[in-house]
Amino acid sequence: MSNPILSISGLTTSFRTGGQWRDVIRDISFDIGPQETVAVVGESGSGKSVTAMSVMRLLGGNARSSGRIGFDGRDLLSLPLEEMQKIRGNRIGMIFQEPMTSLNPVLKIGDQITEVLMQHRGLDHATATTEAVRLLDKVRIPSAKARLGEYPMNFSGGMRQRVVIAIALACEPKLLIADEPTTALDVTIQAQILELIKTLQQEEGMSVLFITHDMGVVAEISDRTVVMYRGDIVETDTTRQIFRKASHPYTRALLSAVPQLGSMAGQPRPLRFPVVDMKTGEIAPVPPTADTVRHDIAPVLKVEHLITRFPVRKGILRRIAGRVHAVEDISFDLHAGETLSLVGESGCGKSTTGRSLIRLEKMTSGRVQIDGKEVTKANQGSLAEIRREAQMIFQDPFESLNPRMRVGRAIAEPMIAHGLASSSEAIRRAGTLLEQVGLSAAMADRFPHEFSGGQRQRVCIARALALDPKLIVADESVSALDVSIKAQVINLMLDLQEKLGLGYLFISHDMAVVERISHRVAVMYLGEIVEIGPRQSVFENPQHDYTRKLMAAVPIADPTRRQTRRIADSEIRSPYRAADYEPAKRQYREISPGHFVQLTVEK
Amino acid sequence: MSSYLLSRILQAIMTLIVMSVLVFVGLYMIGNPVDVLLSPSATPAERLEIIQAFGLDRPVWEQYLLFVSKALTGDLGNSFVFNQPALDLILQRMPATLELAFTALLMALVIGIPLGIRAGLRPDGLVSKSIMTFSILGFSLPTFWIGLIMILSFSVQLGWLPASGRGDTVDIFGVPVSFLTLNGWTHLILPAFNLALFKISLVIRLTRAGVMEVMQLDFVRFARAKGLTEHRILRVHVLKNTLIPLITVIGLELGSLIAFAVVTETIFAWPGMGKLIIDAIAVLDRPVILAYLMITVVMFSLINLLVDILYSVVDPRVRLEGASR
Repeated sequence: MSNPILSISGLTTSFRTGGQWRDVIRDISFDIGPQETVAVVGESGSGKSVTAMSVMRLLGGNARSSGRIGFDGRDLLSLPLEEMQKIRGNRIGMIFQEPMTSLNPVLKIGDQITEVLMQHRGLDHATATTEAVRLLDKVRIPSAKARLGEYPMNFSGGMRQRVVIAIALACEPKLLIADEPTTALDVTIQAQILELIKTLQQEEGMSVLFITHDMGVVAEISDRTVVMYRGDIVETDTTRQIFRKASHPYTRALLSAVPQLGSMAGQPRPLRFPVVDMKTGEIAPVPPTADTVRHDIAPVLKVEHLITRFPVRKGILRRIAGRVHAVEDISFDLHAGETLSLVGESGCGKSTTGRSLIRLEKMTSGRVQIDGKEVTKANQGSLAEIRREAQMIFQDPFESLNPRMRVGRAIAEPMIAHGLASSSEAIRRAGTLLEQVGLSAAMADRFPHEFSGGQRQRVCIARALALDPKLIVADESVSALDVSIKAQVINLMLDLQEKLGLGYLFISHDMAVVERISHRVAVMYLGEIVEIGPRQSVFENPQHDYTRKLMAAVPIADPTRRQTRRIADSEIRSPYRAADYEPAKRQYREISPGHFVQLTVEK
Repeated sequence: MSSYLLSRILQAIMTLIVMSVLVFVGLYMIGNPVDVLLSPSATPAERLEIIQAFGLDRPVWEQYLLFVSKALTGDLGNSFVFNQPALDLILQRMPATLELAFTALLMALVIGIPLGIRAGLRPDGLVSKSIMTFSILGFSLPTFWIGLIMILSFSVQLGWLPASGRGDTVDIFGVPVSFLTLNGWTHLILPAFNLALFKISLVIRLTRAGVMEVMQLDFVRFARAKGLTEHRILRVHVLKNTLIPLITVIGLELGSLIAFAVVTETIFAWPGMGKLIIDAIAVLDRPVILAYLMITVVMFSLINLLVDILYSVVDPRVRLEGASR
């Protein structure tokens, strides 16, 4: 490669913790050529973000770096701070993961763009403002001029990330560092932003250093890929080569754990993820999944015309000015041993549905039966009994466990609270449950912080199982986990389903995971189910426009299938409606047995 | 905005009504002002005459209604002691108290914010630790004691500043103020600083906590990645975000500055409202107490309204009529 833009060699960064220097990344070396996109991929704790931050020297006083970061013939590590400030935002632009917090909430968008232009390009305020409009146009923000005077809160997540990109590109940098720029975004918005970065890269002729954990995104965007594991580079190669024939066992393990949309074609039942031996890279064969669905008995969950709306009050008299139609007239059944996935993007009402079922949210109307018992009209006593049958697992395993309670105690608590076991019995059973979820009984004495993220989610599953439920509502339960851990937890959930005949209501935004785990799928949009049916049928023959859009937006972890797609730059709409709004009665058409699609209403 | 204002005014009126009922009933139960005011040698006839003159022979609810109907015309009654309109008595003394309170507030901000920023930027440094030690002292030492020590040092020992009273005043729009004369300042500076000390400590701590918190936020990291200088990051990005919680607290504290001025006013013999209200309570001078409390309520409501408006100016996320979309 001739004259790399960025040349990192022997980069080691350490953090000081408790007076000790600890290496976080060790001896990192790679180059980025002109107009090249290099992805650094790894799971949490791999040091991929630290690498990016080290290049920009943004780590603060508790960190030190050694080695050489060559950029433009100079070593960034030895530059004085003033010189570094002239490079940041000017020659190297950077964007971060969280578009919601990257912008200062109390400053106007315009000021946040112009300050860069005035700082680095020495423009006066008027010229900088004109330039800011051009930049917002460039990142496809409609009516750019009018939006300069607005604050970040008036922008959606995707739009904010566009503003951040506009700022990063304001001075036409030679290199753009993107640190998980799409991770916090919905999948259709993610596709838009990835397209945008690709297009701008061609227009500007810059190089990109792309940090991500998502192999799908890597396959989609990068020319070369650097795989990191616990602070070391384990493999550097062209992206095609890595996906075709990775040489390091870790890379292979990572790739095998990545759920690939479309990989389940012709497969009627859920499928476990292959387990890879981290030392040898051997892939163990996947055991076939048993047929667990019990169509012969009454469904464990029956939902009819469920509606949940949240009133929005305004004025002195707190009159209802409008309502958020979070869940709008949805109906479905769930059998024992069956997994039904509710899938959709943020604000589509999937979580509210899960919470309404066991009345954690007050439903507006409709009828819900769990194991034949009416939830809708249950009093406090019978509600407690019903909730015993239906347990929830949440997204964040750390926040859903009490940090001051030993996990054994946390698992035993529901049994004691429901009067199902004496204190000592419950603690003993907690040990058995921990073994059931692949931990050891001896771990019952530990506190949540002594576990890793994946282990904590296992603890949450054990706690959910404590009451022998028939139904588990899993609300984004694997979304926060690293790929390999995610695969393990999903395998565990499938094991438990086979063993205990559990019904899962699996709420997720991740189409690829949903394809792997579900028997049936319901796609939600603006509080309504737009399409529901057997997974195979929905994924192989999607009918509704929104389902198709959702599936087209998922990045495919295969660089040879890289699509040139055009995702319309549309926003996710809001389910907020005026107070007198009456939703139209929806009609469904049956495509194939059990596969229903909502008919588009003619306006 | 107008419906917001209207609701705030309604709230203030409700507070006024509840407060006046409480004070009325409370004072009625504590005792009879005539017992305190009248000399023991007064004849029963004189006594009866006074009771009738004050209207104390009527049932308490009737007295209250009478008070309300007069209050609506702007008459809060005459002081039992001075036989002057209670409102006039208070309004005469109010400028002195307000001058003291606002000077103290200004000191708290001018001294507290820079020190707080310094302590927040390098929390582990020696300077920061000294600032924090000072703020602990400001919190924990009693105001009256510091006031006495200040008089001892600066007035008695060094003889630099006068020990008590208010200095020469100049009238502005008919309101006497002392901060425009040098003599006025020499009298003002000690009591104002005494009153401000606690607030300085508070502002230091709030600012420090705010700066430390904001410096950790993503947008500061992003601002650095934009290549901005540390100076600009601090002045533009950090300071405005730090001010938001500060404004709320300062607004509330302004009220307590006026109320707590009582102690300082007593020590420095400052001719403010504090002294007046203490005396009025001692003799159960109901009209003065009521008038004082009503003015305080109105003042507090105004300050809070001002804080809310200021808040929405600084923080665009706050909209006074609730969610805008």
